[in-house]
Amino acid sequence: MKTTRSRLAVAAAATALAFGLTACGGAGGAAGNADSTNVDPEGEIKAREISWLLSRPADGGVITAMEQIADEYAKDHPGFALNLITTPDRPSYIQKYQTLAAANKLPELFDTDATPYAQKLAKQGRMMDAEALLTSLDLYDDYRPAALNYQRFDDGSLYMVPFEFQLEFFWYNKALFQQAGVEIPTTLDEIPAMCTQLREAGITPIALDGQDQWPLERYMAYHPFRTAGPDFVQDLKKGDAKLSDTDGVAAVEWMSQLGSSGCFQEGFSSTGYSDAQNLFTSGKAAVYNIGTWELGSLATDALDAGVRDDIDYFTLPVTAGSATAANEFVSPSGIGMAVNAETFDPLVRDFLGFALERYPEVYAATGALSPTTNVETTIPANATPLYERAVQQANDVGETTAMPWDTQLDPTSNTRLQQELTLLVQGEVTADEFISTMDAVIAQNGPAAFK
Amino acid sequence: MLPNRSRLSVLIFLVPPLLLYAVAVLLPILQSLFLSFFQWDGVTDMQFVGLGNYVYLLTGDTVFWTAFLNTLGYLVICLILQLGGALLVASLLTMLRRGRELVKTLYLLPAVISTVAIAFLFQRIYSLEPAGLLNRALELIGLGGLQTAWLSDVSTVLAAVSIPEGWRFTGLYMLIIYAALLAVPQELEEAAKLDGASWWQTFWRIKFPHIRPVWITTTIIATTYALRGFDIPYLLTNGGPGQASELLTTYMYKTAFTSTDYGYASTIAVFVVIECLVAVGLILLLLRRKADA
Repeated sequence: MKTTRSRLAVAAAATALAFGLTACGGAGGAAGNADSTNVDPEGEIKAREISWLLSRPADGGVITAMEQIADEYAKDHPGFALNLITTPDRPSYIQKYQTLAAANKLPELFDTDATPYAQKLAKQGRMMDAEALLTSLDLYDDYRPAALNYQRFDDGSLYMVPFEFQLEFFWYNKALFQQAGVEIPTTLDEIPAMCTQLREAGITPIALDGQDQWPLERYMAYHPFRTAGPDFVQDLKKGDAKLSDTDGVAAVEWMSQLGSSGCFQEGFSSTGYSDAQNLFTSGKAAVYNIGTWELGSLATDALDAGVRDDIDYFTLPVTAGSATAANEFVSPSGIGMAVNAETFDPLVRDFLGFALERYPEVYAATGALSPTTNVETTIPANATPLYERAVQQANDVGETTAMPWDTQLDPTSNTRLQQELTLLVQGEVTADEFISTMDAVIAQNGPAAFK
Repeated sequence: MLPNRSRLSVLIFLVPPLLLYAVAVLLPILQSLFLSFFQWDGVTDMQFVGLGNYVYLLTGDTVFWTAFLNTLGYLVICLILQLGGALLVASLLTMLRRGRELVKTLYLLPAVISTVAIAFLFQRIYSLEPAGLLNRALELIGLGGLQTAWLSDVSTVLAAVSIPEGWRFTGLYMLIIYAALLAVPQELEEAAKLDGASWWQTFWRIKFPHIRPVWITTTIIATTYALRGFDIPYLLTNGGPGQASELLTTYMYKTAFTSTDYGYASTIAVFVVIECLVAVGLILLLLRRKADA
C-alpha cells in the first residue's frame, strides 16, 4: 500500500514537472523592445564585446576584412571586441539563426537573406531599418543601387546591409567549343542545341553542382526573368502568377529540354560543389555557371595551366523580345547583415559607422568587388586578363537583378521546387506534371506566407 | 522479499534516473504532442488548429506517404543487413578456431567511425564522375554497362542510402548474437548431432530457440534505430532526387527547420513515436507467440 502511494507520488511529480516545463517552452517569440527606426540612440558609447552570427567562409574576404577593422576599432575603444560566429553551410546556418530568433537570443548582428521569414522579423521591429541607418551614417549613396536592391524586401524596404557584390557568369572553355563547333549562345533557347552538339562531340556540356540544389534553381529563374522580367517570381510566389501561364510553361519546357539534351553531367544531382568545379577546370565540361566569388580559382594562375588560356565567360543570354536587358542578370550582393534592434545602442552604431566606412577599401584590396562604388578593386598580381575584365563588367551592370528563386519563394514551396526540378531535368516527371504539382504546392503555401 | 527500508532505498536510487528520463525523453514527447495541435513558425503567435495537422498529414500530404513508404523500405534493408548479416557472421564466427577477436574487432569497426565520415566515404564509393569504387569495380569485372550514379538514380537511391546504415551496425548486433550463441549448451547440440540432426535442424531446433530472447531484443533495437534513421540519408542525398530517399525523419527535419512549421513537424514526430511503439508491439506479438507455440 505504502509503495503504491509513493509510486503514485513520483509519477505525479514527474507529470507536473513535465507540464510545468511545457508551459515555459510554449512562450517565446516576443518582439524586440527598442525602436527599430531610432538609428541614432542617445547615450554614452560603452565598449563591450558584440557578436555577429554569420554565414560566410571562415577564411573569406569579408571575415578577414572585418577582423582587421574590429582590431583597429578596439585600439581606440579598449574593451571592444567583435566575436564572429560563422556557419558557412547555409541550411545549418538558417536552422541556427531561426532557432535563436525563436528563443529571442539573436546577437547584435546576424546574417539573413531577404526571405519571408526575415520579413516577419522586420515587421515585428526586431531589425533596424538599414536604409535609415546608412543614410544617418552618410553612407547610403556610396552603395551600388543593384547591391542594395538585392537586399530589399518586396515592399522596397531595406533591413540588411550588403558586404559583397558578385556577378554570375557562364564560364566556358573556348577550346572545347571549337572542338564541337559551337558558338556562344545568343539566346537562352539556343542552349539546348548547344548541349546536343557538345554531347555529340563527346563533351559534357555544363558542369552542375546538383547536390546544393540552388545552382539548378538558378536555371529555373533565367527564362522567366528574360521573357517576363523580375515581376514574374514576385507574382508567382504569392499565387498571383502560375507556372501554367505562358511564361511559366515556356520556362518549364526550357528546363525539360536542358534535361533531354543532356546539358548536365550524368548523376548531377549527387555531384557536390568542388566536384562540379573540377569537371570544368579539368577541361571535361564546356560550361560552368558561377559567380565572381570564384575569380580567384578561375581567373588567376591557380587555374590549371592546361585550360588557363581557354577559359572565357559570357553573361546570361537573352530571349527573343526579352523584357530585361543583356546587362541585367544575377548580380547578388550575398547574404546581408541585419542589425538586431533590441541590442542596438550607441556602441553598435558607432562601430558600424566606423566599420562600414572603412570596409570598402580593406575589402577591395583583397581583389573582391565592393558593394560600394567609391573604391577600385585591386587586381591580384597572379590574375589572368579575364580578372580585370570581370571586375570592369561590374560597372556596366544594370539595376534590375535576376533574383535567385531560393530567396524569393516561401521555404516549403522552395524545397519542393528544388526536388521537382531535379526530377524534371532527369526526365522522371513531365513538364505538365511538374507544372501541376508546383502550382498546387505554391497555391497552398505561397499566399499564406506573404500575407 | 526485501525489507521495507531497503525497498525505499531502492526507490530513492531509482528516482533520479527516472526523473532524468522524464525530462529528457517523456517531456519532449509531451511537448511535441502539445505543439502538434498548433501552427507555429517560432516568431509569430501560436495558432491553435486542433486536429488540423493530423487531418492534413493523413489525408492531404503526398510527400508524407512517400516518406513513410521509403522509411519502410529503409527499415527492411537495414534489418536484413543488420540482423541477417549479424546472425550469419556470428554463426560463422562460432565455427572459427582462431582469430575470432580480430574478426570481431574488424566487424565492429564501422560502428565506432563517425557518421559524417561514413557518409563521405559512401559518397565517394557511389560516385560516377569521378568514378568511385563501386563503378570502378563494375568496370573491372566487365559489368561496365551497370555503372550508374547510384545516388542520383531514383530506382537505386533508397537502397544506396540504406546500405551504409545497415553495414555500419552489423558488427554491433553480431557481437550480441555471438554472445548468445556461445551460451547455447554444447551437450544439447552434441546430443542432437548424435541423433542425426542436420546442421539446419540443429540451428533451427536447438540454437535459435535458445537465443530467441536475445533475438527479440536485438530486433527491437534495430527496428527502432532504423525507424529513426536520419543522418546518413540526410548527409548523402538530403532526401533526393525528388523524394526518392526522403524518410519521415528527414521530412520532419525539413518541415521544422527549413519551412519553420514547428507544429506540423511535431505532428510528424508524434507519428514517428506511434510508429515505433506499433513496431515494437508487432515484434513482441509475432516473436513471443512463436515462442509459446
